[in-house]
Amino acid sequence: MTSAGGGTAVAAATGPATGSGHVPGQPDMWFFVVFESLIFTSYFCVYLFHRARHEGAFLQGQSHLVLWLGVLDTVVLLTSSWAVARCVQHARAGRHRPALRAAVLTAACGLAFLALKLVEWARLIHMGRTFTSSEFFQFYFFLTGIHLVHLLIGFVVLGVLVRRLSDRERPSQQAVETCATYWHTVDFFWVLIFALLYVVR
Amino acid sequence: MTGGDGRSDPKRELWLAWYATVAFYSLYAVVFFVVTRTQPPGKPWYGPVEVAAWFSGHHRGLLVGFALIFVLGGLSATSIALITYSIRRMSVSRAFAYSYLILYAIAAVPGFLFICVAMTVGAMRPGRDPAVLRWLYDLGFLSFSGTMGVFLVGSLIWMTAILLDQNRVFPKWFGYMNLCNALTEVVVAPSWIFHGGALAWNGTIAWWINVVVFGLYTGVFITLLRRMILREDFGRGPLPDLAPTMSGPGEAAAEVAAA
Repeated sequence: MTSAGGGTAVAAATGPATGSGHVPGQPDMWFFVVFESLIFTSYFCVYLFHRARHEGAFLQGQSHLVLWLGVLDTVVLLTSSWAVARCVQHARAGRHRPALRAAVLTAACGLAFLALKLVEWARLIHMGRTFTSSEFFQFYFFLTGIHLVHLLIGFVVLGVLVRRLSDRERPSQQAVETCATYWHTVDFFWVLIFALLYVVR
Repeated sequence: MTGGDGRSDPKRELWLAWYATVAFYSLYAVVFFVVTRTQPPGKPWYGPVEVAAWFSGHHRGLLVGFALIFVLGGLSATSIALITYSIRRMSVSRAFAYSYLILYAIAAVPGFLFICVAMTVGAMRPGRDPAVLRWLYDLGFLSFSGTMGVFLVGSLIWMTAILLDQNRVFPKWFGYMNLCNALTEVVVAPSWIFHGGALAWNGTIAWWINVVVFGLYTGVFITLLRRMILREDFGRGPLPDLAPTMSGPGEAAAEVAAA
């Protein structure tokens, strides 16, 4: 839920300066946020439905996950969200260098998350817990995998952000905020996935 | 349809393509969901005997429905043509339109022709070994549900063009909706692996949720293509909010009625 706090920070930091009304960034990006949230909600409902039917098996599968690795994933990604919120604030104040540094920190945290996830997958696969080994791991690899696809798209989005930040001819605060909104959304989805896969007992 | 000044309506050809698009998607839905009952898909865990019974139970529907597709499936080209037209109307490089057109030139094969051929062969040769029929059944449903790469990349090309466009041909939120659609195309890949559950070819995630997203996406793009035709001024700059002189069939009829 800290990510939602990050989103509020962005909103507070930008507000009317963007001239785009009440939401930070391009309002159209919020269509993506809502629509993609609905899709993820439907995935979560399917997961919870299957989990309720075979609770014992799911708990048994869950016991093979390392909770502190999940916590570390979450902390790293929340740090990236904080960094991208700082990036938006710096950009709004016209401080380009700190904004760029914050964007690089965001990408670095994203890469760290990617590396952690790959380590986690490798560990599980090495233990014989694969996509096909049980229903829990089918959902585990599906949800973390589809989230990772969103994260990879996030790197492209950060590339756009850095490009718009570096473009002194056509600076666009709105573009920066739009990209940040996407990044927060990916972070938000992870917090929910983390809660459902690692924490819920 | 004629314009207010009595000359022939340059939008007539565009409306022809648009109505053909509506006709194609209506036919597609009716054939797959009603006539052949191949959607929602058959059970992925069926053995040879059950598959032979499935073919026998669906025999007439498969023949009638897919005969219609074999005759009229080419109408799918009209929606691709209109979408390519929309990209050409944007302020972006022609490379986007060319990529989209070339990619979608083969889209009908994984999109629906493979399943039509496989299922029609199964229906026309009921006496074959049930193991062979099962193979055709797998081929049909897997080719239909599991081969989404064309549509994945196609949606991303259209998305990029819309987001870069300065001519306001489509709203930007629809660009992002293309990304949502592309991401659900990724989700069907596991249907090659699983014979049951949420990720199988008839699963809640790989089929039901995807169909809802694809249905919404298709409905939205057909509506937005209609709006594009209404707004089209055949210029090169940004599309106006409302059609300045020309009007669509509905509006034209209203004008006639008012006159």
